[in-house]
Amino acid sequence: MTELIVDELITQTANRLFSEICGHEAIQNAETVGEAPEIWAAYSETGFPWISIDENLGGSGGTLLDALEVLRLVGYYSVPVPAAETGILGGWLLSEAGLQVPEGIVTVLPDLGPDLTIKVDGSQVSIAGSATRVPWARSAEVIAILFQDDGNNYVASVNASDCVITPMTNMAGEPRDSVRFDGVVCSYAKVSESIDAQSFRLRGALSRVALMAGAIEKMSQLTVSYTNDRVQFGRPVARFQAVQQHLVWAAQDAALSRMAAESAGIEATRGKGDFEIASAKLIANQAASRATKACHQAHGAMGMTQEYPLHHYSRRLWSWRKEYGGDAEWSKWIGRLAVAQGADGLYPLITGGSRVL
Amino acid sequence: MSEAALTEESVRKALSGFLNVRTPETRLTTMGAGSDDLDDGRSYLQSTAEYGWHVPSWPSQFGGRDADSRENALIGRVLKEFIVPDLYPFAIGLGMVGPTLLAHGTVDQKSNWLQLIASGQEIWCQMFSEPDAGSDLANVGMAAIKDGDEWLLTGQKTWTSRAMWANWGICLARTDPSKPKHKGLTMFAIPMDTTGVDVRPLTQMNKDAHFSEVFIDEARVSDTLRIGDVGEGWRVAMTVLSHERAGGGSRGGGEGTNRGSFVPNWISDLGTFGVLDTPVARQRLMEVHCHDIASKFTSQRASDEARTSGTPGAAGSGAKLRTVRSYKERAYGSNRLAGPNAMLTDGHGYIETMTAPSMSIRGGTDEIQRNILGERVLGLPGEPRLDKTASWNESRKGLL
Ligand SMILES: Cc1cc2nc3c(=O)[nH]c(=O)nc-3n(C[C@H](O)[C@H](O)[C@H](O)COP(=O)(O)OP(=O)(O)OC[C@H]3O[C@@H](n4cnc5c(N)ncnc54)[C@H](O)[C@@H]3O)c2cc1C
Repeated sequence: MTELIVDELITQTANRLFSEICGHEAIQNAETVGEAPEIWAAYSETGFPWISIDENLGGSGGTLLDALEVLRLVGYYSVPVPAAETGILGGWLLSEAGLQVPEGIVTVLPDLGPDLTIKVDGSQVSIAGSATRVPWARSAEVIAILFQDDGNNYVASVNASDCVITPMTNMAGEPRDSVRFDGVVCSYAKVSESIDAQSFRLRGALSRVALMAGAIEKMSQLTVSYTNDRVQFGRPVARFQAVQQHLVWAAQDAALSRMAAESAGIEATRGKGDFEIASAKLIANQAASRATKACHQAHGAMGMTQEYPLHHYSRRLWSWRKEYGGDAEWSKWIGRLAVAQGADGLYPLITGGSRVL
Repeated sequence: MSEAALTEESVRKALSGFLNVRTPETRLTTMGAGSDDLDDGRSYLQSTAEYGWHVPSWPSQFGGRDADSRENALIGRVLKEFIVPDLYPFAIGLGMVGPTLLAHGTVDQKSNWLQLIASGQEIWCQMFSEPDAGSDLANVGMAAIKDGDEWLLTGQKTWTSRAMWANWGICLARTDPSKPKHKGLTMFAIPMDTTGVDVRPLTQMNKDAHFSEVFIDEARVSDTLRIGDVGEGWRVAMTVLSHERAGGGSRGGGEGTNRGSFVPNWISDLGTFGVLDTPVARQRLMEVHCHDIASKFTSQRASDEARTSGTPGAAGSGAKLRTVRSYKERAYGSNRLAGPNAMLTDGHGYIETMTAPSMSIRGGTDEIQRNILGERVLGLPGEPRLDKTASWNESRKGLL
């Protein structure tokens, strides 16, 4: 049975590394330049990107839960690297297909563009069309694409250098590029039938939930510490009850999303966590909306400036809440599932989650 | 100048001589977000200045047209049919300094400044906030020391929007530190090119660099540039702030006309994202829309009151809470409903989302507006405060 406890060494090492390499200036600089090769180098040196991927295929071993803990801390420190894409999304797809995981950055297509066509032709596929909002495509070595053909699921491994990449950014200044495939030819391999568009989407959502839980926690801590230092009317503003309400909202949202992220991570690591992941993404999306409001309000004008770090977290949260499913998508998903259980099935679903499905 | 009473038709006819009509496609920035354009606003103001169309309630000799409340509201309504660019760069002069000068300025000050404000030739900025004086504005520490018939100003302002464009700053300074904090303040107009004034822009989260730190080192300001009496700075500041909150500064900008349709553009624009037929989205949008309408009436009432009384009251605080909520809900709601592309910097509602958090901060935070309403309208007991009576020299140490 898989270990359901995170190795403490991972938390310690990640905390130490990120607090060293990922200060305010470094994050700001990554945004200006459009990528952060030095941060990626230091990060990948540790083997973190490939946790939970089979060592025989280029991975670092460890569990999904370990990988999610690193992602949580990537969110906590706003580390400007494609951690989820290279690891539990792209790396996962490649390794599940038995394809070699490269040494460099891997990315994935969060959504297949409507004009994207993938044609199987013997031992190769040919890809045409485009995709948008592709994380860090400009820095990637490989783009891993999950697709279906004739009822089977496959993963294509595209050399990013064969594609036409137009740099775009999300609200946080993270690369979310447009990618055009002009009849790109590449190798591909089959994956098991359980790895389909739905499970990929859930896994994407799980990655965002971990990142968001970290970012909300950091934002909440930053706000508590700022309002304790900031003096107005002769006292720290944190003494005003109106400000304390903001602090409590943010702290609740941090705790809530972390709890949701952890239980989703545990169930997913066990093997079946769809309901928990869907719920966790909805919870994190809503928590992000509330907590960013509360933290900005408590900061006053200081939080609106580029020189103060609050925006690293708030802008990432505004972006991430839209990735791999916004509020409406997961609300509908959960709603349909809950209704399908019937009245007698609802309570067991809430208490037992995916295990009763 | 108006012998015959103004009618909607006559105003429309006059304005259409030199202004372009809004179309459903018109989209203008609001609050200057994402734009550094001064020219559009300036040429609009130049073209409206001759007959005082933009500030109709001001006296005609100072750039207005002596309009009464009814005429003022009528003109305001008809102006909305035309392209009134985002007047953000000019808003302090038009919406706040102008009315304040009418209430507290000398005849010379009015004739020297008002016309240049109305015609967009001079830009003003508001130099109130300091590093230690945000919500606690009365804690301003900028020193003003009398030297003959001049004053020497030394200190630091911050978050000063428009400072890098401005010809003038309306500057709150401390002339008597031995008095309690609200009592020792005096208001000045300071030319931004005065020796000793150093403007350093700060970049905002939305990438605009519209506010600045302003460092002032022994800048000489003539006593003729003092607005109101020595020691009356707080009262003058309250006049400025009430006009700000009542929305005096924010005319112009925004979206195109929706004449002939009841659906406002910000809602119909969401049609392309396929959300307008989902019941949850519709319910949310209609909640915001209803609030929006109530908010417009509230602001109208507050700004009428501010204009006619000259010394506006707490209504501006109520109006500001509502307009701010409208802006924020529209921004967040539009962005949220606009699908995943709206996470991009060129996505729907990007600049508004990035600007939204500041709306409930600038011009006095929501918490401060609620304190004002609680204390002044409902008569609730205020926070316990000893700093109102002690000398500022003592209270600034923060021990009270
Ligand atoms: C975009 C922007 C433009 C601006 N432009 C200008 C300008 O042109 N000129 C100018 O002078 N200033 C300007 N300001 C500054 C603005 O007036 C101040 O930001 C505002 O007054 C709040 O002060 P602060 O930022 O120091 O927040 P703080 O006073 O530090 O407040 C921090 C938090 O504490 C809360 N708080 C403080 N006191 C109390 C209390 N008594 N009860 C309950 N809660 C309390 C606040 O509500 C807030 O949530 C601008 C600000 C922004 C964001």
